[in-house]
Amino acid sequence: MKFGLFYEISVPRPWTRETERTVYNNALEQVKLADELGFDQVWAVEHHFLEEYSHCPAPELFLTACAMVTKKIRVGHGIVVCVPEFNHPIKIAERTATLDILSGGRLEVGTGRSATWTELGGFRSDPDITKKSWDEFVRCLPKMWTQETYSYQGEFWSMPERCIIPKVYQKPHPPMWVAVTSPGTELDAADRGLGSLGLTFGQFAEQEKRIAEYRRRIQLCDPVGDFVNDQVSTVNFLYCNEDDEKARATGRRMADTFNYLASQLISAREAYPSRSYPSLGLLPQLRRQATGPDANEQAGEGLGLGGPERVIRAMKKWEAVGVDRVNFLLNTLEIIPQEDVLASLRLFAKEVMPAFRDSKGGN
Amino acid sequence: MPLFGTLELPTATAHLPTLRNLDTEPWSLPKAEILQLALEVSRSTLALLPKALHPAIPSYVTIWVTRYPESPVGPFLLAQLRLMARAGAHPRGFVLRAYASTPEAASALTQRWGLPAAAATVTLKRRHDRVMAQVLQAGVPVLDAALVDPQPISGGDVQYIHSVTLAQAPIDGKTAPWLVQVDPRYTFHKAERGRPEVSRLDGEAWGAPGLTLQNPIACTACTCDTDLPRIRFVMDPDVPVVRGTRKIRDSREAE
Repeated sequence: MKFGLFYEISVPRPWTRETERTVYNNALEQVKLADELGFDQVWAVEHHFLEEYSHCPAPELFLTACAMVTKKIRVGHGIVVCVPEFNHPIKIAERTATLDILSGGRLEVGTGRSATWTELGGFRSDPDITKKSWDEFVRCLPKMWTQETYSYQGEFWSMPERCIIPKVYQKPHPPMWVAVTSPGTELDAADRGLGSLGLTFGQFAEQEKRIAEYRRRIQLCDPVGDFVNDQVSTVNFLYCNEDDEKARATGRRMADTFNYLASQLISAREAYPSRSYPSLGLLPQLRRQATGPDANEQAGEGLGLGGPERVIRAMKKWEAVGVDRVNFLLNTLEIIPQEDVLASLRLFAKEVMPAFRDSKGGN
Repeated sequence: MPLFGTLELPTATAHLPTLRNLDTEPWSLPKAEILQLALEVSRSTLALLPKALHPAIPSYVTIWVTRYPESPVGPFLLAQLRLMARAGAHPRGFVLRAYASTPEAASALTQRWGLPAAAATVTLKRRHDRVMAQVLQAGVPVLDAALVDPQPISGGDVQYIHSVTLAQAPIDGKTAPWLVQVDPRYTFHKAERGRPEVSRLDGEAWGAPGLTLQNPIACTACTCDTDLPRIRFVMDPDVPVVRGTRKIRDSREAE
């Protein structure tokens, strides 16, 4: 079992020039400490226009800064949006290769397609074709990273033969992942030999079923890259404190705030009916967890909120259902003071991580 | 935390519909034809939104024009302009103004569900390449809108957002402004999606002076069985809904 951090970069109003900077600086301080404590990876999202919820439109810049202040922790695009209006594939290949070099081969590349009208509409992207463009992009990327020269003629983009430089530092190339929120996307990941970068919280039974199907399906995959990444990652909240009750209450406040902010976003399907977005994805689930019948589940056994013993139990359950990595959100709208967040990381490393050192894949 | 609406209630209360009571009987509305256009609007529409609600990000409106071939007040058409919002974590459409094709329908909708409805000429016409809606108020067109190039989609892909109206309602022996949740159910028989086209929307006539439509999003035309249910929730319009919601009853069905 491996543990990491996951950043949305949530910034509270009012947005002064210092609030944005403080949130980024706090995140960097957390990542630096996490590296020293033995956390394995840090992921940062690509989101646009998502007020307060995520002020992280350029994760490659944040991750470069992370790489510069750390030694071992891996840096993950979680995810890069594979839709032409958001990112040109050549730029994705170039940026990621540069980050892989600067980080000394510590890059992980998550891919996805955006799930909100807020973003898709902002870039005037057609929600009907995002799955197709994602599929095209992920098949091109490994070749752009590894072939001496590359040319392409596809449905969504094309290029004449050129030498795309620089090349990635890792050989054959960085591990690739797919953001999984809607049911069924884990099968898209499996079919292409890509890691499942789960972005949903809780719900052991549902996750166990989906992970089992992913594991079964990836045995017969046609990998888009030079190797199969068959790992399953999931996100969680972390607030660990010796005082279990206080930790749960504080953590619950963070989780509720996150879910409430997420519920303000316009899912693609809410505004634009499309077969390309057959389910409502993550947002309705978070909406239920914020206010509905699932609200109590947030305080349940699946979350990394509580004293060390409780958090160990939760992580053991995730390990038992087949999760290889858990990435933690540490704060939302800075409602937890930075010193408390850092203390939570230290306590997790001291009391929780040792319980997983002998597990497969070791921490 | 997210932004809230900034509507100053005293300026709005003089024109509010008044509910007779909160014991409205449900209406069954089979085979309704619903044209919905969604278009983005300016953030300045915050001034039209009650303080209890968050604006959608980005701000957008939906124009609804519906033909109800069967209802307790006979067949009628209804046009609505809704400013889309969030009531806490839940998506909702705040009804700015509505027009019904018969005085009976306008009166009943106003008194039963707090719809700010007046009688007007409302039409909904289908051509092979478009579905067109028009509203004439005292002979003057205040809406011309269309779905262009309809393509079949699954009804399962369509998500209709529940409405809230702002009305004077009698609660605890006192009549005061409340947001009233109107949450119909839909059983889809047919659904199409196309391009929204609005050639005229008179903001003044729709309770939104100065409203300018911006980025078009999508348009659907659907046939479905629907209803207008019993009122289950009302909300204080000046207080965030997480603190200001009152449950009137558990069931949306007739008791």
